[in-house]
Amino acid sequence: MKDQHSDNDPNWKRDFPIEKTKATHVSRREFAKFLGLLSGALAISNGGIVIKSLLFPKEGLKGEHFVCNVSDVAVGEMFQFEIEGTKVVPYILIRLEEDRWRAFEQKCTHLACAVRYRADLNQIECPCHQGFFDAESGRVIAGPPPRPLPQLAVIIREDKVYVTGKEEQEQENIS
Amino acid sequence: MADFRESQNKAHPNKTNTLMTAIIILLILFVSLQIWFLFGALNNALQENFNFALTTFIGSAILALCSFWILKYLPDPKE
Repeated sequence: MKDQHSDNDPNWKRDFPIEKTKATHVSRREFAKFLGLLSGALAISNGGIVIKSLLFPKEGLKGEHFVCNVSDVAVGEMFQFEIEGTKVVPYILIRLEEDRWRAFEQKCTHLACAVRYRADLNQIECPCHQGFFDAESGRVIAGPPPRPLPQLAVIIREDKVYVTGKEEQEQENIS
Repeated sequence: MADFRESQNKAHPNKTNTLMTAIIILLILFVSLQIWFLFGALNNALQENFNFALTTFIGSAILALCSFWILKYLPDPKE
C-alpha cells in the first residue's frame, strides 16, 4: 500500500489520484469489499425470485380454445398452433391414434428450441440438442431437457379439436 | 519501546498476506455457492417450486451476512 498511497492521504485523494496507474489499481482489500457487495446483490436477486413467485403465480390456460377440425390432422401427424393470451405461446397437437390426441407446449424446456413429433419413434424430439420426450406424457426420455414438456388437455367435440388447461380439466372432472 | 503489535508484526511478517488470502478465498466460496443457489432457484421457480426458491433465498441471505461479517476481519494496512 505504501508505494501506492501515502498513509496520510485523505480518502478523496485515494479515490481520485493524479496518476492513472494509481486510479486503475485495485487493492486486495477493495476486491474483498467488492466480493461482499456482490454477495449481497446475489442474495437480493434470490429474494426477488421469491417475491416474484409470491406476487405473480403462474396461471394455467383458462377456458377452451378451438384448434382445428379432426380431419385436418392425420394419424401420426403433428399440427402447430398458437394461443394468444398475455403472451403468444406456440403449441403442438399430436394425433397418436385415431382417437388419441396430445397437446404440448412447443418450446423445449432446455433452451426453448421448437420441438417436433417423430412418428417413427413415437417420441417428441428437440433437434437442437437431441432431447427426447415421451409423446404420451411429455416426460423427458433422453438428452439435456431438465423438465417435462407442459401439457394441455385435448377435447374432441363435434369433429372439432379444443384444448384446455390440464388443471382446469382435472377440476371439472372432480366436480 | 516496541509494543506487542509491533513485535507481532515483525515476528510474523506474512500474517496480513495470509489473512487477506484466506478471506478472499472464503468470499469467493460464498459467492460461488450463492450463484449455484440462484441458478437452481431460477430453474425451479419455472417449475413452480416455491419451497426451493424460499430455501435458497434463506441460504443466500445467510451467506451474504457471513460475507459482510468476515469483512470485519480484513487487515488494515495502516495498523
